[in-house]
Amino acid sequence: MVSCLRAPRSWRFRAYRLTGASLAAAWLLAGCQAPPPDPQAALIAKGRELFFNETFNGNGRTCGTCHPENNNFTIDPAFIAALPKNDPLFVAEFDPNLKQNFENPRLMREFGLILENLDGFDDLANKFVMRGVPHVLALRTSVGSDQGPRTGWSGDGAPGDRSLRSFAVGAVIQHFTKTLNRVAGVDFRLPADAELDALEAFMLSLGRQQELRLPLPLKGTVAKRGQEIFLDDRLGKCNICHSNAGATAVLGGKNVGNANFDTGIEALPDQPARLTGEKVPRDDGFGVPGDRTFNIAPLVEAADAGPFFHNNAIETIEGAVGFYDGESFNDSPAGRLLASMDPEGKGIELDGTQIVAIAAFLRIVNALENIRQSIDFLEQSARQGFFQRQESATLLGRALDETADSIRVLSGGGLHPQAVMHLKEAERLANEAGHSLFSRTRLARAAIREQQQARAQMIEQ
Amino acid sequence: MRTPFAVMGLTITLLAGMSYAHGQRATEQFIPLGHSPGLSGRYTYIGQIASADAQQRTISVSQAGGSHTVKITDATRIWLDRSKLRQTALRGSFGDLKKGEKVEIKYQGNDREQPADWVKVEVVQR
Repeated sequence: MVSCLRAPRSWRFRAYRLTGASLAAAWLLAGCQAPPPDPQAALIAKGRELFFNETFNGNGRTCGTCHPENNNFTIDPAFIAALPKNDPLFVAEFDPNLKQNFENPRLMREFGLILENLDGFDDLANKFVMRGVPHVLALRTSVGSDQGPRTGWSGDGAPGDRSLRSFAVGAVIQHFTKTLNRVAGVDFRLPADAELDALEAFMLSLGRQQELRLPLPLKGTVAKRGQEIFLDDRLGKCNICHSNAGATAVLGGKNVGNANFDTGIEALPDQPARLTGEKVPRDDGFGVPGDRTFNIAPLVEAADAGPFFHNNAIETIEGAVGFYDGESFNDSPAGRLLASMDPEGKGIELDGTQIVAIAAFLRIVNALENIRQSIDFLEQSARQGFFQRQESATLLGRALDETADSIRVLSGGGLHPQAVMHLKEAERLANEAGHSLFSRTRLARAAIREQQQARAQMIEQ
Repeated sequence: MRTPFAVMGLTITLLAGMSYAHGQRATEQFIPLGHSPGLSGRYTYIGQIASADAQQRTISVSQAGGSHTVKITDATRIWLDRSKLRQTALRGSFGDLKKGEKVEIKYQGNDREQPADWVKVEVVQR
């Protein structure tokens, strides 16, 4: 009897202790509980894995080779200079099968240019173009058009149904091949349907998911004026083809989505790549043979993603804006058209201060987007549980990259020094958060507050 | 002020409209028959050549469900898919469209009444 009474008491006691311990453990681990499965998040995660790690049995390159996350998904000479010699980007320098007619290493290293055989593969020595690497941010806002999806620099980057989903197939054939025979199953493998779905989902998840709504309540005097000029259809005329600083055109009152224009970029004198004396055939843009048109690039992401235009012809955002004031643009079909419709017959005529003002505006919208992304990454990092250190560190790293871009973009234009101070403090805090064992969340939140203060310097809240 | 901008809009629309966003032609050459992303199995027609008429520049392609006559123009790109031989794809000509060959046809504008945009011929023998 005694034993009968004692046994349940002991059992109950142990049960209470177990329950208490379980509750405590549950409370402690609450922060690292996996969220309920989200099919779209899983697809994006799979796409990320493929984008950065899958070589498709090719020459070692991945999508991330030319679209690295820590450099705004593009490459430029400074980024390239920091890569090791055996990076697969330089495969043409060390693989005998790809030594000829696959890349031009000099133009790659000096100007960040990649070789593409957009007009066919039947004369590799002479039929090619040299193009920069477009970033893959804000694709959700920039690919669609009334005539179908437009990908790449000239709107015709994808084989098959020409969609963003199909883009990876063309990229693997052009850039991942082991030899110039380009035989599927030998020189590479083609991405499977499920892989294309995942890659598309990942790319669409990057950067801005919606258009800005201009005008923004900017605080900076010069940037505010730059925005006015940008939006003025009789002065800057920028907003006609870059509606809301994006990549869609509003024509006749209708947003037609992304569109192609011949803006005369190829007519620019003294293009850097051609100054070298290396063979740089004229890029005829869209189609075969090309019609000399290229599609609109989004401007919000521009200021920290130069050099600019399909041929990396201009290094600075000020220079890129200045292009539209020059003869190459104003003598082009697009420039002449704008002039013919102007009441005074003018194309785009801007003075130095106006060019700098538009560039200042573009620097500000870029910095604001970087801050938005930084805060997003910092918030995600702060939500990670105690044991999710690797995930948290990755997110903090992405926040740090965006913050560094904000600082560079603002400082480069002499804009908002007070905001730059807050961003530098945010950078310090995020860096410290990455090294902290117990204060990671607190430091990440402090970094968010600094980012918010930086934003408050630039725009009315 | 509205009229000039409306005219400008219309003109630019026409200018932009000239650039119909067709697929990148170049790399399509190296995609094996039946594997063109978003096209194969949906918009393309795969079958065997029943006959070829060099004068009319047409080929008749048969499938289990019937046959279809396809117009070949100078703009039609013909590719020889030699991936099963582990060899590179080549550009072909109308003369490569022979009876019995397995082909995949993509029509202009994905409209079967239109001429072929491209034809892939599967080459399985050296």
